[in-house]
Amino acid sequence: METKLTPAQAAKAIADLQPVLNAAVTIVENPEENTNDGVLAGIPVVLKDNVSTKGLRTTASSKILDNYVPVYDAEIVRRLKDAGAVIVAKASMDELGMGGTNRNAATGPAANPWNPAHITGGSSGGSAALIAAGTTPLAIGTDTGDSIRKPAAYCGVIGVKPTYGRISRYGIIPYASSLDTVGYFTRNIADAALALEVLAGRDDHDMTSSFLPVEKYAENLNGDLAGKTIGVFRTVSDKIERPEIKEAFDALVEQIKNAGATVVDVEMPVNLMELIAPVYKTIANAEATANHSNLDGIRFGMREPGGSVDEVMTNSRTAGFSSYVRARFVIGSYTLFEENQDRLLRKAQKIRRLIVNAYAKLFEQCDVVLAPAAIDVAPLIEESSDVRFGNDNFADEHMQLANFAGYPSLTMPLGLADGLPFGINLTAPAFEEQKLFDTAAGVEKLIDWKEEPACSAK
Amino acid sequence: MEKFSTEYFRKLASDLRFNLSDEEIEELKHDFQAVEAQVDLFETIDTDGVEPMIYPFESATVFLREDEVADVLSREDALANVPDVRMGHVHVPKVVK
Repeated sequence: METKLTPAQAAKAIADLQPVLNAAVTIVENPEENTNDGVLAGIPVVLKDNVSTKGLRTTASSKILDNYVPVYDAEIVRRLKDAGAVIVAKASMDELGMGGTNRNAATGPAANPWNPAHITGGSSGGSAALIAAGTTPLAIGTDTGDSIRKPAAYCGVIGVKPTYGRISRYGIIPYASSLDTVGYFTRNIADAALALEVLAGRDDHDMTSSFLPVEKYAENLNGDLAGKTIGVFRTVSDKIERPEIKEAFDALVEQIKNAGATVVDVEMPVNLMELIAPVYKTIANAEATANHSNLDGIRFGMREPGGSVDEVMTNSRTAGFSSYVRARFVIGSYTLFEENQDRLLRKAQKIRRLIVNAYAKLFEQCDVVLAPAAIDVAPLIEESSDVRFGNDNFADEHMQLANFAGYPSLTMPLGLADGLPFGINLTAPAFEEQKLFDTAAGVEKLIDWKEEPACSAK
Repeated sequence: MEKFSTEYFRKLASDLRFNLSDEEIEELKHDFQAVEAQVDLFETIDTDGVEPMIYPFESATVFLREDEVADVLSREDALANVPDVRMGHVHVPKVVK
């Protein structure tokens, strides 16, 4: 992995970009030198602000954690430091991961480096913006329901959500435990393959982390598409309406065929596709409500005064959570009521299994599934909003399938429309990251992306 | 009483240990129409005999470790983020008055 900026230069570049991008929550003033001579020696890295960093404020972009300074490092921070990396900033996100716009951050929206009037996408929006702006070659994010891959597509960079359990979540402020996955942003596939070697592996502190061995993804990277079978996810790609995106997507499919791959069309039943977003919200809200019951201002975080312990908690949680997050907790709590569990949470979990079974069938016909990441470019900040409930559109939410199934999934840039990037999404079966990176490396050569945003590190 | 009344949401919020403004409750009333509509949508899917999918994978990654002391947080670290510490303890308003 190469960096054009030293850690100190990267921190300065992030600070210089802050008035326009507003992408950082905390910038490390004097990044410490790291004498570890690993594969990331001297590489500056940005972390999403839900990654615990010993001695460095970690807010998850929520007011309730405004003063929280962890006393330990997340497992991935330990691994990054062991490999020689230097943490230079903590990036803005949607509060506690809840949102897809990065508008819902305590520090305000992050701006898209391609056009600051547009959103970055979320929830890992700050990480996406900073890597798009060229400040670091690696930024960490988390992906519960496309929270790395959508902002990567909107910001014109590579976003990787590995298999569920591939990377330890120890020290990550959670959102929804059955979906949360640690991942990252890079600017090329070789770096993406190398980053997983550093980050992945069993960690007894995270009981969902996998025992499967970590492969030499970078060393074994093979971008030859000949002999591979790529499934084009027609249920999603048929929904593309914008001519520029449709033309670019169709042209890429032709190029993939010409490169020697077999291309097949794959489809999912539409009635199951339409249930992706409702099932996601039901499960995610319920899990989030339970996970965040420990944010009460008593042992850590912001405490508001009150006459009793109950009042302290109520006042702290009222002031500490945004209106949007409190609404999601109300919905999540309702889902968890005993009388509602069967018809809501458990029903959603059963439908999740049916959706995953149908999704798994697509991979009986192909090695990797290709889809548009989103069917449009990043919307304007003022025109975007996080859908509270209803108005779901599976063409925009389809990447949640990989969270349901736990499959590794990435997005990469394909083209520009109105000066803003759009991307593609590639997904492979569980723990088949090598196959995913190999296919992505082949496709990367075909796309040959060289565009740079207007707003980038000088 | 109307099922999703203002009082209903006040009680729900109180159980969750936060307050909701009148405006927030009105928005939630709207949201809950969608939540209930979603139940109807869920019911269009036959899930008889389908096991709930709690986690993506069934393979065991969880085990009971030996009952040995490990990963002990020092008192200093444990209290480092407590908003109000007195005499080495977490201080809160009086519970028994």
